[in-house]
Amino acid sequence: MAFHINRRDLLKTVAAGAALGALSPINRAMAATEVSWMTWENLAKPEYLQAFLDANAGIDIAKTFIGTDDEQFAKLRAGGADSVDLITPGLDKVEYYVESDLLQPIDFDKVTNGKLLYDAFKSSPLGKKDGKTYGIPFYWGINPVVYRADLMDEEPDWSVFFEGDKYKGKLAMRDYALEGIMIAAMYLGIPREEMFVMDDKQLAEIKKALMAQKKLLRTYWNSISDLTNLFASGEVVCAFSWVPPYYDLKARGLDMGMAKPKQGVIGWCDTLAVPAGVEGEKLDAVFKLVNYLLGPDYGKELAVGGPYAQSTSSARDLISDEQKDKIFISDLSIMDSFVWKQNPPRYNEWVALWNEVKAS
Amino acid sequence: MKRITIGNALSVPVFAAVAALCIAPLAILFAYSFFSVSFVAIIKDPTFKNYARIAGSSTYRWLIFKAFLSGAGIAAITAIIGYPVAWFIAKRVTIYKSALLTLLLVPLYTGDLVRIFAWRVLLGAEGVLNSLLMWIGLVDKPIDALLFSPLATHIVLAYNYLPFMVIGLWLAFEALDDRLLEAAQDLGAGSRSAFVRVTLPLTMPGLIAGALMVFVMVVGDYLTPQLVGGASGITIISAINDLFGTAFDWPLGSAIAWTMLAILALFFALAAIVISRSTLGKAMAGGEA
Repeated sequence: MAFHINRRDLLKTVAAGAALGALSPINRAMAATEVSWMTWENLAKPEYLQAFLDANAGIDIAKTFIGTDDEQFAKLRAGGADSVDLITPGLDKVEYYVESDLLQPIDFDKVTNGKLLYDAFKSSPLGKKDGKTYGIPFYWGINPVVYRADLMDEEPDWSVFFEGDKYKGKLAMRDYALEGIMIAAMYLGIPREEMFVMDDKQLAEIKKALMAQKKLLRTYWNSISDLTNLFASGEVVCAFSWVPPYYDLKARGLDMGMAKPKQGVIGWCDTLAVPAGVEGEKLDAVFKLVNYLLGPDYGKELAVGGPYAQSTSSARDLISDEQKDKIFISDLSIMDSFVWKQNPPRYNEWVALWNEVKAS
Repeated sequence: MKRITIGNALSVPVFAAVAALCIAPLAILFAYSFFSVSFVAIIKDPTFKNYARIAGSSTYRWLIFKAFLSGAGIAAITAIIGYPVAWFIAKRVTIYKSALLTLLLVPLYTGDLVRIFAWRVLLGAEGVLNSLLMWIGLVDKPIDALLFSPLATHIVLAYNYLPFMVIGLWLAFEALDDRLLEAAQDLGAGSRSAFVRVTLPLTMPGLIAGALMVFVMVVGDYLTPQLVGGASGITIISAINDLFGTAFDWPLGSAIAWTMLAILALFFALAAIVISRSTLGKAMAGGEA
């Protein structure tokens, strides 16, 4: 059977398609203001957002998921800022966006839950410029050492990645210059106030330590699911990690340990930030969503589902003690021991150093 | 004459699309390679600083060299394995030819990640191969170097890209007229002489085409070394990735990318010269056998 196309049929089809295409945005515009949120997949689970959508019939949330923080910045920087209304950059990266004029300040009159931010975030200079907040802390946690308690004799600290050869070939480090170099600095005892502004001599020491580290490593890891696999298969017994493999593998019956080295623990925090071009009705909707994300309904869900801690105390009284322990908010003084990630002024040289070590 | 004019007219949109989609991004990258960066600002004063940094950095020089070395190494390995396989499929198999060719391509349908993880299961410390070796009693503890080592990278790369080599060679063998080999024998050539003077030259274009394809793909593959290469799994491509991503040094990243492109172009030019001088190449270009 031959398939004939004539001009009239083709035009009809095209016209029908055009009509359909034209109708749908009108429908949406009448029904709702759509807020486009660029974020991590595990922060935008439907059940986390349901209470907000129920309470705000006029607002829809369109989600775009990011794979890395850098990818998010690259997208906005390459002109993607017009298509997104709310982003989720790391607290240490907000500076990049602010210096590129990509953000507008947070309006605390509309984001009333901002008053409940923990002191560590209120007093931090990160995410702010000229007294205005551009990236409002959203949720936070630590990146600890995770290990197979059944295969290690003692709780490790950072030194396990730099000296001795008891666990040689059974260790893994994240392939990330910023954290890799911070850990070497903590191991070498470089004071926190100098850590992000190290001079040439200190960087040379770091490089030496990292070269020694490379010989002990099984591999550098790039994705957390990959690291989880390496733990499960016994290829790696101890790694600088994120928290999730600890809970995931424990739930599957492995005897896992989580260590917070006394030399310091890396604390991280992601923020919510609004691109400069968002305005009017949409901006109001965005701030409503931001306020919800810092409020009790969302915080409660995140504490259990994440499990992660919100940056505000909104939900703190609604969470069980056991869950509070899990997300490190039972005793908030623990935050004083964290070394919060920052963007070093000589970061390009850090990346070059990291690549030199890996290529050696 | 008129037909040619119509052909020209029809090719304009295709040409324009190729130019816009392929050449324009490369041109932008080329322009960026002469810029410089200050924190998050791209400074557009032309400079050769980035190229000087590449030339002056033993790390980048080594990584670029390593990329081409792996490319050439894997091309050679796949050629040695692929040559007899292609000959067998083209000349010895009749009924099951298409089945065998499909079988050869099946791994490609599964996606790189799946294949890489399958190899991890095979090569890991508690993997299939190590368990087997220990069960037989050849070793008493697992050989760690089977996985997360350059050896593992080369095994997986050779496996992943072998089909591309075989396809190129298979086409060359299909085009090889067996009567030429008979003629060579009639004229007194031994089987070795016939291979060196007839078979090899006539399949050379297929070999070069396959090798170039494997070479280019290996040079651009950073996932395999990253996932099975262990602590030494860094590649120039992942370094470029770091420069574009975390370091926000697009100009240096662009300069490295263009350096790689220039070297690749050189290889292609050399290969094109070799192919055009060969008998089959002349036949293909000139339309006479």
